[in-house]
Amino acid sequence: MAEEQKQEQAAAPAGAPRAEGGGQREGGHGGQGGHGGPRREGGREGGPRREGGPGGGPGGPRRGKRQYFRKKKVCKFCVEKMDLIDYKRADILSQFVQERGKILPRRMTGVCARHQRWLGVAIKRARNIALLPFAGSAAGTTAPKAVEAHKS
Amino acid sequence: MEERLYDLIFIARPATPEDEIKKIIHAIEHACSEKGGKIEKSEHWGTRKLAYRVAKHREGMYYYHQIRTTHGELIHELERRLHVQDAVIKYMTIRLDEDLKRQKKLGDKREKRAARRPRRPAATPAAPAPEQQAAAS
Repeated sequence: MAEEQKQEQAAAPAGAPRAEGGGQREGGHGGQGGHGGPRREGGREGGPRREGGPGGGPGGPRRGKRQYFRKKKVCKFCVEKMDLIDYKRADILSQFVQERGKILPRRMTGVCARHQRWLGVAIKRARNIALLPFAGSAAGTTAPKAVEAHKS
Repeated sequence: MEERLYDLIFIARPATPEDEIKKIIHAIEHACSEKGGKIEKSEHWGTRKLAYRVAKHREGMYYYHQIRTTHGELIHELERRLHVQDAVIKYMTIRLDEDLKRQKKLGDKREKRAARRPRRPAATPAAPAPEQQAAAS
């Protein structure tokens, strides 16, 4: 059981950003069911943020129990015991980036604080050498595929 | 000054003739040998799609070098040379040794902990085992 959850967890960060970046920017809440954490896309609107995410609908404040099962998130880098996040591995880094190049928050991917810090640096380095996009260049281009010849 | 390790990546225009690439790489090697640097690794990643447009190109040829040197001026010199080249549309040098040092430190720590661990689990698995047997029977 625990094994299954872990595997699902590992797949989640990879799948989610792809699914949501598809077309309209509005559909940003697409991946909500998949990962446990509430998404807070509507941060600029102000007002109190509710657990149910933007547009929580009726019954938001009264909800006492969680309505969905929250998976325990595990840091992917801790599981693999990575002490160095290589900026050259665009295939790994792209799992933690939205389609348009935003770095995904920790609450969605489950990466631990230390690895998120390194991840941020690695992603920024990768952006500098055009392995990952800066924000807003997703139209038409996709993330570069890993070349077989490149092994690090 | 202690030794430092750098990554040097440059992207060349997709249609650059091989001679020109060779010239550039030769220039890098020459500069390295002159200033007392050493090329540890040299790789060609092939033509890759760029994540964004660079100098109106959507693709580029990636070349990767790892350089070990004690002189920081070498990096300046290399960057200056790459900047001048028309075929090179983007380049980047990154200091790597500090990250590697940290990696080594953490790895050593983990090994130490792993070496120490066998004592403790030896005691713990003994406890749940009888329960499992009881549950099975």
